[in-house]
Amino acid sequence: MSARGSTGTSARAGTGRRVLLDGRPVTLAERPLKGGGEASVYPVEGEPGIVVKLYRERPGPEQERRLTRMLAMSPLGDRPVDSNQAPELAWPTALARSPEGVFLGYAMRRFGEPQHVQLVGLFTRSQRLRLFPERADWRFLLGVAWNLAFMTARMHHEGLVVGDFSSSNVVVDRNGFVTFLDCDSIAFTDRETRESFPCLMHTTDYSAPERQAGGPASTESDDFALSVLVYQLLAVGNHPFGGVPHDSQEDSTVKDNIAASISYVVRPEKVVVPRGIIDPTVLPPGLLTLARRAFGPGVLDPKARPSAQDWLRALDEERGRVRGCGARPRHSYGSHLTGCPWCARAAAGGQDLFNPPPPRPPAPSAPAPPPPRQAPAAAPAPSGSDSRKLLLVLAVVIAVILLVTVVAAMEG
Amino acid sequence: MMNEPPPTAVPQYADFDFELDNNAQRLPLVLCLDNSRSMEGRPVQALNEALREWTRELHDDVSLSYSVEVAVITFGDQSVTAYRGAEPLHPGMNLSPFVPAHAFTPPTLAANGVTLMTEAVELAMHIVAARKTELRKLGLQYYRPQICLVTDGLPTDGTGHYTTTWQRIVPVLAEEQRARRFRLYAIGVGGITDRGQAVLRAFAPTYNAQLQGFPFRELLQMMSASAAAEQKGEGEEAFEKIFHQFRTQRPAWEA
Repeated sequence: MSARGSTGTSARAGTGRRVLLDGRPVTLAERPLKGGGEASVYPVEGEPGIVVKLYRERPGPEQERRLTRMLAMSPLGDRPVDSNQAPELAWPTALARSPEGVFLGYAMRRFGEPQHVQLVGLFTRSQRLRLFPERADWRFLLGVAWNLAFMTARMHHEGLVVGDFSSSNVVVDRNGFVTFLDCDSIAFTDRETRESFPCLMHTTDYSAPERQAGGPASTESDDFALSVLVYQLLAVGNHPFGGVPHDSQEDSTVKDNIAASISYVVRPEKVVVPRGIIDPTVLPPGLLTLARRAFGPGVLDPKARPSAQDWLRALDEERGRVRGCGARPRHSYGSHLTGCPWCARAAAGGQDLFNPPPPRPPAPSAPAPPPPRQAPAAAPAPSGSDSRKLLLVLAVVIAVILLVTVVAAMEG
Repeated sequence: MMNEPPPTAVPQYADFDFELDNNAQRLPLVLCLDNSRSMEGRPVQALNEALREWTRELHDDVSLSYSVEVAVITFGDQSVTAYRGAEPLHPGMNLSPFVPAHAFTPPTLAANGVTLMTEAVELAMHIVAARKTELRKLGLQYYRPQICLVTDGLPTDGTGHYTTTWQRIVPVLAEEQRARRFRLYAIGVGGITDRGQAVLRAFAPTYNAQLQGFPFRELLQMMSASAAAEQKGEGEEAFEKIFHQFRTQRPAWEA
């Protein structure tokens, strides 16, 4: 879409809308980047660095007061220190008004692909390999978790509640730095007027039971969402409330498992877990203990949840201890393990979660499932050295299984 | 024809099984499309173009591409056909028509024949129920599925004559929607008559629309926006807003 001259306020002609950003006229692209039930986000013609979020229904005066107040704040102000790091918050930069002066929404910096990718893009192998070609190993995932915990701890320290915290409204860049996108839903209290601005949004897959039941956002509900996100990162995408309760005939959702406090991380006997699920013991013991607190007693008791600070401390301890495997690229793991869990998984007939799949075998009869988008080259014949490698890998698997058993016994 | 759970993946672990590491909660989405004779020419071309463009957008959507599963059902050409991606499934093939969005390729449809709408909606309900059973067995959770029925005509029998058989599924659809088993969208396009639109209203009391022309692009974008709202866990109001904006065919900021 090229920049167009002004055609007044007529939108039917196929031109984007004109709005004022703190009085400065700009033209929005005709089509939003993203449209939800509440608002749509538009690019600005000629200004690739910013986007404008317009509310679908005319926002009320309290939303205008909220954003006006936010413009005067600069949270996490002395961060970032590293010029390579994107801001941790996509904070509003200007109010958006109609030419007649009606409040419509706000402008913010654009954090778009390919530089900034939603966290959910780290949760499947093919997206990791496509979006983070070199970097995305377990060490990277741990680093992202650290950055998330750091951001959350800082926000809580400054009296801000994220409120709507999910794998879709946090983006991550190539260096693992995170940015929270939907700042207009953050809950805070105006220090001068004491007016409190609650968070009215939430994402059910990350909502603690008390929020699902209609309660307000709090630092504890953030702690719940943070715990889920950190677990998902460390367990390479697995949601801790995944799985279907045994003999369930009903529709089964993450939301239901949260409300019923059913997590396989704590009570594996309660659910059928999807094949290929990662054993929670890939988490180093300190982090696994926090996860079990969050997804056990912490589900129904907000005070029992590990705080962002708790997560930060535990993640920080593990950060310097991560091991590389050496046998395969992008394999790294916690120092509590004696062998590479990713090699073990691949050798046990699972997948190498961090590397592209090997060439496909010959197509079976009948229609094959659709091929992956990048078709690998023809299969080389296995050589003698390959089978020796296989034996070695099998030995590693057995060692890991033994270790996991020992760790599980110790935990139990 | 699809009573047995069709295999969706290689039976044992294998690295080339690209869904093995994807435990995301799934969102089954059925496009139930009229390709009877009245859609011939521009309309079916527009539909094919819109399907291709939507597929590209879906592949690029980091959130939806590994959660949404797409199945296509067409009614026209003397029969009801389920597609697994671009491939028509023959009865007895025992394969699920659902394909993960990131791997979905749309069929290229031709328009011909009669409008077996009732049978198509019945098949849509059937494949959704079968997929749910299958997902539960795999230990995979799912969001509320979406079925999108698109037509420009009236339900007919195999000889192309209007039939009242559609009335038999109205109470079934009402009960299924009341029990939140799926969201049904019923969209009348082109020159659909008031009588045709009355059928769609009876099928989908909340999400029905009568639209000028063939705005397939906007229709498919509305399905994506609704899928995103479902992933977020939005209340019914959000879906109604998204649908209202689509139905009035106005830019979001004019709503």
